[in-house]
Amino acid sequence: MKKFFSNLSAEKKLAMFTFVLGVIAIFAGDPYGKTSIKINAKELSLISPNEIGKIKVEDIADNIIQSKSDYRLIDLRKPEEFAKYNIPTSENIQLDKLLNSELQRNEKLILYSDNDIEATQAWFLLKTNNFKGINIIPGGLNNWKDNILFPKCDCGENPSAEQKHKHDKLAEVSKYFGGNIQTNSAAESFVKNEMPQLAAPNGITLKKTSGKKKREGC
Amino acid sequence: MNAPFFKYEYFGTDVSLIIAFVIGIAFGFALERGGFGRATILAAQFYFTNMRVLKVMFTAIVTAMLGLFFLSVIGFLDLSLIYLTPTNVMPNLVGGLVAGVGFVIGGYCPGTSIVAVATGKIDALVYVIGMLFGIFVFGEMFPSIENFFNSTAMGSVTLPQFFNIPYGVVVFLVVVMAIGAFAAAEWGERKMANKSLEKKI
Repeated sequence: MKKFFSNLSAEKKLAMFTFVLGVIAIFAGDPYGKTSIKINAKELSLISPNEIGKIKVEDIADNIIQSKSDYRLIDLRKPEEFAKYNIPTSENIQLDKLLNSELQRNEKLILYSDNDIEATQAWFLLKTNNFKGINIIPGGLNNWKDNILFPKCDCGENPSAEQKHKHDKLAEVSKYFGGNIQTNSAAESFVKNEMPQLAAPNGITLKKTSGKKKREGC
Repeated sequence: MNAPFFKYEYFGTDVSLIIAFVIGIAFGFALERGGFGRATILAAQFYFTNMRVLKVMFTAIVTAMLGLFFLSVIGFLDLSLIYLTPTNVMPNLVGGLVAGVGFVIGGYCPGTSIVAVATGKIDALVYVIGMLFGIFVFGEMFPSIENFFNSTAMGSVTLPQFFNIPYGVVVFLVVVMAIGAFAAAEWGERKMANKSLEKKI
């Protein structure tokens, strides 16, 4: 037997080794068996809010303007609220439908709602189901409204070049998304800014909840 | 579970790009050392006179398959985090046919053409220019073929899911298929070598 093996060529030895691994594979079990979900309540309770990935609204706005789409933006609010206004390129999936949705665990997800509570709940829900790249927008849509749609500029009467640049950038971004910048005088008389009607800016296509997914790494 | 490392956020996008670059260089080097920078060797596969491409491809498939399978079985790798390209039957068939015809005519596939350009092959440079032109035409034509591009979608489907058989059985069958293909390739090469020898005599 030993002589038989020593007489075999390297290719045949390799083929035999591969065949043995193939046979073992039949009895080795399910490779997905160890990825089943076991929620550890203790571990979950120890997760600090600091561990929650947070994305700034300014970064989201920049990404939308530059048509970057290496993430999915998820609006967790009710469909009627979503229909009234949503952040361009976002898709509407409610909290209770998250796990039954088409979201994939290898996608980068950014969650938002009116505030942090619902987004944080969704973060925990997805995290306990082994989703990895999950982030929230702190302050949600209110943050978007305050800092992107209707930002306030703290420039004085004689702004420096840096302040003027900041003011111009805020004004441009705000205009792009259908809002307008609030100057000091306007802010004083400001009562309540209405959300603009939903309309995707030029060059941006709103994502659909169904359809072909973005390809990765091919 | 420790892998995939990127999904477990052991490093960020910037580091992942550096790692991808290094792996890409190593892959290109391996291809070149394996003779895949020469169009004659690659095209010979389609005339069954040199089966090196088939052997290398099957070796890569079987190595990757066994590695992924056993690493996930022992709990090192979370297979559900590995990205699977969605299957669209008809577009995949047509795309495969176009790529195959291009492979035979040009003597390169996209990866090996870059390897050949790096070693100074002029024909590969022409191939790459043609490939870039094809990408440009595809991009420009995309709105008119988008419906076809998205047709016959099956989602991210795997053989065990499709045939509803255990993963291990599929692994075993692919191993048997690879060994069979290797044996057939060796036999075919010997046959072709004998024929060319007879012609010379």
